[in-house]
Amino acid sequence: MTKEQVKSSAEEEQQAAQSKKALKKQQKEAEKAAKKAEKQAKLAADQQTTEEDDFAQDRYGVCVMMQSQEKLDRSLVRVCELTPDRAGQTVWVRARIHTSRAKGKQCFLVLRQQQFNVQALVAVGERASKQMVKFAANITKESIVDVEAVVQKVEQKIESCSQQDVELHIQKLFVVSQAEPRLPLQLDDAVRPEVEGEEEGRATVNQDTRLDNRVIDLRTTTSQAIFRLQSGVCQLFRETLTKKGFVEIQTPKIISAASEGGANVFTVSYFKTSAYLAQSPQLYKQMCICADFDKVFCVGPVFRAEDSNTHRHLTEFVGLDIEMAFNYHYHEVIDSITDTMVQIFKGLRDNFQTEIQTVCKQYTSEPFKFLEPTLRLEFKEAVALLRSAGVEMGDEEDLSTPNEKLLGRLVKEKYDTDFYVLDKYPLAVRPFYTMPDPHDPKYSNSYDMFMRGEEILSGAQRVHDAQLLTERALHHGIDLEKIKAYIDSFRYGAPPHAGGGIGLERVTMLYLGLHNVRQTSMFPRDPKRLTP
Amino acid sequence: MALRELSSLEKFLGLNKLNKYSTQGERKVPVLQNNNGSSLVGLATISSHLVREAKKRELLGDSPEQRAVVQQWLEYRLTRLDNCSKDEFKIILRELNQHLVDKVYLAGNSITLADALMYYGIHHIVMELAVQQKEKYLNVTRWFDHIQHYPGVRHHLPPVAVLRNRVYPSSQH
Repeated sequence: MTKEQVKSSAEEEQQAAQSKKALKKQQKEAEKAAKKAEKQAKLAADQQTTEEDDFAQDRYGVCVMMQSQEKLDRSLVRVCELTPDRAGQTVWVRARIHTSRAKGKQCFLVLRQQQFNVQALVAVGERASKQMVKFAANITKESIVDVEAVVQKVEQKIESCSQQDVELHIQKLFVVSQAEPRLPLQLDDAVRPEVEGEEEGRATVNQDTRLDNRVIDLRTTTSQAIFRLQSGVCQLFRETLTKKGFVEIQTPKIISAASEGGANVFTVSYFKTSAYLAQSPQLYKQMCICADFDKVFCVGPVFRAEDSNTHRHLTEFVGLDIEMAFNYHYHEVIDSITDTMVQIFKGLRDNFQTEIQTVCKQYTSEPFKFLEPTLRLEFKEAVALLRSAGVEMGDEEDLSTPNEKLLGRLVKEKYDTDFYVLDKYPLAVRPFYTMPDPHDPKYSNSYDMFMRGEEILSGAQRVHDAQLLTERALHHGIDLEKIKAYIDSFRYGAPPHAGGGIGLERVTMLYLGLHNVRQTSMFPRDPKRLTP
Repeated sequence: MALRELSSLEKFLGLNKLNKYSTQGERKVPVLQNNNGSSLVGLATISSHLVREAKKRELLGDSPEQRAVVQQWLEYRLTRLDNCSKDEFKIILRELNQHLVDKVYLAGNSITLADALMYYGIHHIVMELAVQQKEKYLNVTRWFDHIQHYPGVRHHLPPVAVLRNRVYPSSQH
């Protein structure tokens, strides 16, 4: 054979082989199609038959949208109330589907309501059909359902649920609101401790994903606990101060002049002129003091236009502000504020232990420690402490963030407290309305309070003398015209007074030992985030 | 740098007549011109020579084994520590910290030339460490504090503040 012949015959063979292959392929495909058709037919038939003989078809399904058509005389039991006392009772519960797991003729559901969850079971039997179990298994995660079920005691504790001693045997199951099948983040991933996640190689959710899908992230047990505790902080703050004879006031947030220098305020257009968003209710609470309200506090938003992208700065946060007239020494005010803080810490420790433990499961931290009465250090002492640790700093230099943190550790080691007051700051680093120290003009009657080495409150005795206030304002280069109303309010008799402002988010963050203030702000605002 | 180090070492050894040094090359390797005309080159060589001159041979190690370990750390100082980049600081501190877990001095149970030269060489690194890092490399810090307080060693170098108590919980390292 010539070379060409060899070649062509080889090609032929190849072609033959190919066509053989193709033939086989075709055959296979045809078989597949036939099988598929058969299956589908069977499925359809099945469905038909099942639809026909599903005895339980009234016991499950998707509800019509609730438009308040009827007033059902049905009381819904809360998941946290499902205890062994209710064993044998038939109850109605509304909850979310946390997870569902089908296993042959049974389907296990974990029903969640806020931070509580309970195991529920749909099993083929007298009350549930095969189709009902299938329906239960197909409900998407996070859907809201109404179930009628019998509470049953269980022999072995259910470790994964908050209601460990009972489970629900479902008799009826209706979907009230259906969730889309794909969730932007999984709740289980969002509560996994980060270290453990790394070790196990399992997913965790990063901060930005959480914040982008805040509504879902807020459903996690950790978030639920954080914000319940935060509400507790506000409540304890109000209670304690009200008991002390304080009056709650509301102040405007749209103001005409910046209180602490114009650099870090938001400007808003205000009809034909411009206005600012309040950095603190500072001026107004002081005016209330001049108006004889004596002791005032205010809970409300404050705004900072600082372009700080750090773990502890937000552009809008909730300020807890206190201002109080005193008799002879501003330490009266410090004592009043520290006592308020201590009451808050005690209240949290005594009433929010469950929440603290829940957060601790994801973010471990040492329990918060404080002394009674609160430790008060002078700025000079702090500088000495820092120098003993090898930090070089000037006498009148403000504390840098790393130094603040280090000081916190040094104080903790020496005094075993996470909460202390730093008194007598250098005058140069404080705002113009700060009262100078009578003994040393380099220092001032101002103070900061720290939790776990981070500042939560900044306060001072204010200048209540119009003359001195004018001098101080001029010294700071402030346009007197713009703060005329403020200075004038001190001309007609002003009592000596002091006060301070606390950031609610920071207190919550530091009390729980968290590392980012965004975790304790429900819808955080920072230079890079304006939504959701 | 090396010259100030050598003059501090001379004082530590109690040598009265001060030698004259020069440097050679880009890396400023120290050179000692001897009385008899020959010259000695290199930090380790000159220091070993000074130790012999001061009749303090125990600083080079008093057993063959200790002598070997002293040589090893002199070599470590010259090859690993000198001219290393910032990224390598961590590795060096970790290695030293591990080595010093159960030791007071680098070699054996008494101070040697290795301790002095390592102290001079690592001073600028330890100086820059934050309190938390000093606590992280606890054994290095302990050894360093001991050497800087050893009579006659410190001289030209500023003392580094060292806290005697741990201030950070161990989980934060």
